[in-house]
Amino acid sequence: MKVTRRDLGRQRRRVGVIFILPALALVSAFLGIPIIQAGYYSLTQWDGLTAVWTGISTYTHELHNPIFWRVLENNGLLLIGIPVAMILPMGIAFLLNEKVPGWKVFRTIYFLPTAISWVVIGMVALRFFAQEGLLNGLLRGFGLGFIHTDLLSSEKGALFAVSLTFIWSMVGTNTIIFLTGMATLDNSLNEAARMDGASNFRIFRSITLPQLQRFIQFSFIITIISAFTALFSLIFVMTGGGPGFGTTTLEFFIYQSAFARGDFGTGAMLGVILFLIMAVLGIGQLAIMRNKD
Amino acid sequence: MKRRQIWIFALMVILAVVMLYPFLFMINTSFKSNVQFLGASGHSMLSWHKLFNALPVGRELINSTVVCAGSIFIILIVSTMAGYSLSKLRSRASWIFFIGIVGAMLIPLQSIIIPAYINASHWNLLSGYWGAIFLYAALGTPFASFLMTSYFRGLPDELIEAAICDGLSYRRIFSKIALPLAVPAIVTVIVLQFIQIWDDLLVGLLFIQDPNYRTITVGLGALSAGRTTDIPVLMAGSLLSAIPAVAVYLIFQRQLVNGLTAGIGK
Repeated sequence: MKVTRRDLGRQRRRVGVIFILPALALVSAFLGIPIIQAGYYSLTQWDGLTAVWTGISTYTHELHNPIFWRVLENNGLLLIGIPVAMILPMGIAFLLNEKVPGWKVFRTIYFLPTAISWVVIGMVALRFFAQEGLLNGLLRGFGLGFIHTDLLSSEKGALFAVSLTFIWSMVGTNTIIFLTGMATLDNSLNEAARMDGASNFRIFRSITLPQLQRFIQFSFIITIISAFTALFSLIFVMTGGGPGFGTTTLEFFIYQSAFARGDFGTGAMLGVILFLIMAVLGIGQLAIMRNKD
Repeated sequence: MKRRQIWIFALMVILAVVMLYPFLFMINTSFKSNVQFLGASGHSMLSWHKLFNALPVGRELINSTVVCAGSIFIILIVSTMAGYSLSKLRSRASWIFFIGIVGAMLIPLQSIIIPAYINASHWNLLSGYWGAIFLYAALGTPFASFLMTSYFRGLPDELIEAAICDGLSYRRIFSKIALPLAVPAIVTVIVLQFIQIWDDLLVGLLFIQDPNYRTITVGLGALSAGRTTDIPVLMAGSLLSAIPAVAVYLIFQRQLVNGLTAGIGK
């Protein structure tokens, strides 16, 4: 039997569709359909069993809820940590890139926190910031004993503690990203610039940074996604969202609304808002990258 | 230059202590009894004994392993097939599938978790491991498919054409040629997903309702939410839960870094 080119093309397309189906079915069933459902249920009052259509009023109602704005403010405050969570690792990557003896061991150590759970990190952080914890011990050790901290007991303090822990956990990932970037640097450019009498700072700003741009963008995306969507476990373990609503971020608020208060409709709506925020950030990022190219 | 290197080295040692602090704290604390932690001197094995006798950590470790293995198995099957299809069996509809599957990476877990939870309860998936396994698999599939697609794209088309000439079907080419060549990408997916799923709290917390099926991370999370006062036991548990993921990290560091930086592109 002779197989013609057309038969072959048909066979290829048929097998192609069959091979894509399992992934498509899985992603549709557990991500695609639920996000559409979330859109629908966000317009209803829903306790998980019966949904009553209330329309867009759920959104306008929520916009008048001071707690909602408080939660967004917490997310906003966490974003202040992002530059720190990027600049610090960039410095560390520069240090590693000097390749002093043993640098590979240090690289492994700095990246290690990436492997441990936010639950574990949160539990240790809880003891670190506690009244009798290491933070106060360190302050005493440096002769600053008069600054006795109890960060976790105040709203702003607890958020500060969460954000410090967040920054600490991002160090590994971002350091690796920048280190990967530095491996791609073209050192001959630095030499040429130095010949022309450029200062170290000038070389860094005009030659190194532009070459690292792609990596800076990637690190920014990863960090901002983490700030919005990866801190649930940390907050769950460290503060439970409190004191008050001090450390309740949008992702934690979704969980609280649905699974602590049984208000699934509001939870779904908050989920849609989170999705929209991430989508806007993603599209903005794409637009910036397009323009630069 | 020598002097400069010494300074850098010293700075890196300090940083290493900061990054290792959780481990040092966990190790130190777990080898104390509660009394010793609260001020008395010395170390003991008491907390480790308590951990294994009073808490179901053995069972939880097995549960974590089952959930990880099940999800990763599903992810590998569907993502290698999808990647092969999206790179080597392209048709006009392929780009829609690509956007549909890989684009799902943009959906935050928290945005879908409520409907997914209600659906899973309707489908009776919440009583055993299955709800968590399926959701983890679905969450891991978009990125794994993306990774597989770019990996298979690197395989030359001539290879496939030659195999067709030899009389192999597209299915046979997948199992006989493409899959064996994809082992490096497969290892990357396994390592990334293992760490992610092993360390996760939220999905396990909601989608595994029977405490007998709880993963170790969820067990710990539940324990800490109960505000246990026996901190050394908690630290022993934390350390125990971290060991498998840290071991995988130490062995497969390169694959993990490859996977992490795969999104940057060329």
